[in-house]
Amino acid sequence: MAGGGIGVEYSLRGLPRMLPGLILCVVFGWLALQWDSNISNWNRDAKESEKILKSWTEGKPVLAYDEYVQKAKEGFAKKEAEFKEQKAEYDAHVAALPPGGQPALKEPKKPSKPHPLKQADYEELTQGKAVAGKLAFGQRMIEFQLTYVAVLLLGGMLIRNTVGVPAVFQVGTLAARPLIKPGIIILGAYYMWSHVLKVGVIGMVLVIAFVMGTAVLVSLWGRRAKVDDGLTGVMGAGVGVCGVSAAVAVAPVVNAKPRDFFYAIGTILLFGTLALFTFPYIGQALGMSEPVFGAWVGTSILNTAQLVAAATWYGHESLLTANIINIVRVAFIPLVVLWAIYYYVVKPAVAAGGEAEKVNAWQVIRDKFPIFIFGFFAMVTLNEMGVFTEEQTKILAGDLLKLFFAVGFAGVGLNIAFDDLRKAGGTAFMIGFASAGLKAILAAVVVIALGTEVFAVR
Amino acid sequence: MTEEFEKKATETFSAERKEDIFVLIVAAVVVALVLAGAIGKDFYKSLFF
Repeated sequence: MAGGGIGVEYSLRGLPRMLPGLILCVVFGWLALQWDSNISNWNRDAKESEKILKSWTEGKPVLAYDEYVQKAKEGFAKKEAEFKEQKAEYDAHVAALPPGGQPALKEPKKPSKPHPLKQADYEELTQGKAVAGKLAFGQRMIEFQLTYVAVLLLGGMLIRNTVGVPAVFQVGTLAARPLIKPGIIILGAYYMWSHVLKVGVIGMVLVIAFVMGTAVLVSLWGRRAKVDDGLTGVMGAGVGVCGVSAAVAVAPVVNAKPRDFFYAIGTILLFGTLALFTFPYIGQALGMSEPVFGAWVGTSILNTAQLVAAATWYGHESLLTANIINIVRVAFIPLVVLWAIYYYVVKPAVAAGGEAEKVNAWQVIRDKFPIFIFGFFAMVTLNEMGVFTEEQTKILAGDLLKLFFAVGFAGVGLNIAFDDLRKAGGTAFMIGFASAGLKAILAAVVVIALGTEVFAVR
Repeated sequence: MTEEFEKKATETFSAERKEDIFVLIVAAVVVALVLAGAIGKDFYKSLFF
């Protein structure tokens, strides 16, 4: 995976070196989640305050706090009773359907539990007739999408490039990044196979068209511009498929020099970092729905950690779509390596009248396949079999997912070093950056045209 | 193919394979804890003020 552990190997022997940085990421992640929890609660309370203010302007009476809470409870009990009735009607309707029949009724939605204001906030509202300052602040932070994802990425980057991260924490912060992967795996508890196939099939078409297309485009353009094969090969794999991992996989095939490799990595990191911080705002400006945005970042951002961060930043539905497309994308790494072997080794050898090296395709696929995605498929299968209750799904794909992502994003933010980004340069940088940018623009047009329904997981 | 890079790529993919195995184990342990009820619905809330 991109964002994976280049230079970090998980082993018990290496644990003492990793521990300080891992602890730093856990603490940083916890602080960001604490912030997130506060602004979410304040945002919810601000909305409740606005609802109450509206009812007062419509002439409804100002209730005492106890009466207000009681009314909220009664309102919920009524809605719940209505839901149970509608649900029973819906279930009976579905049970009576012939095999393969489509229900004519819409499945009712469970009402959400009421969250009445705290007494102090309610009293402040009744006295000031305006939303309390801290609640309005929370609402503003949510509007600006300054959730835990932004705090960890922006804050981490700021720390790394100002005060710096002491060497003792370095290995651990790198080792924290792959903790996004268990989050990706347990998110599988949220999907049914029908969801995975629905988005996965269209995701595969997008991956073949855009992701593989970019790898091919960079290589052809690089040859035309007479850029070294090693550099364009690494760059093509990197900007096309999966950032650093694909670049590392292709490097020996194309005979890349260390300089080529670092140029390519610099370009990949620079594009990914810019995309991570700008795409959520571009998506909002273009009015992209969450599933459409998920499809866009799944196709355009080159690196799993950055892609997952951008999608999470935008919203949960965006993450659900982006996750499936990412799974499809990383599964393509071995195929890109095979293509690089053909384009840079076999084809030139045959053209020169020589004998092509024999390539064991199965060996390449077996060696380069990212096996963690089997965990995701196992989770989807368990969910399909009904192993998880609704509550367990919420714990896995909601609460625990956030914990893993928070620690992983802390590692991502603390490793965005401007010095690494400066390593990008030269003609190959221009080709790689332009191709990645072009892919992002074309992908945006296509996913917007296809629309929300195509990419919505539920 | 340069030997140096081939070695580096093999090492990196061996490290990534180990990393994948590690994350699969972590995910399996977490799922087992949730299924066993050791991690319940109040676990997350209990971590924050």
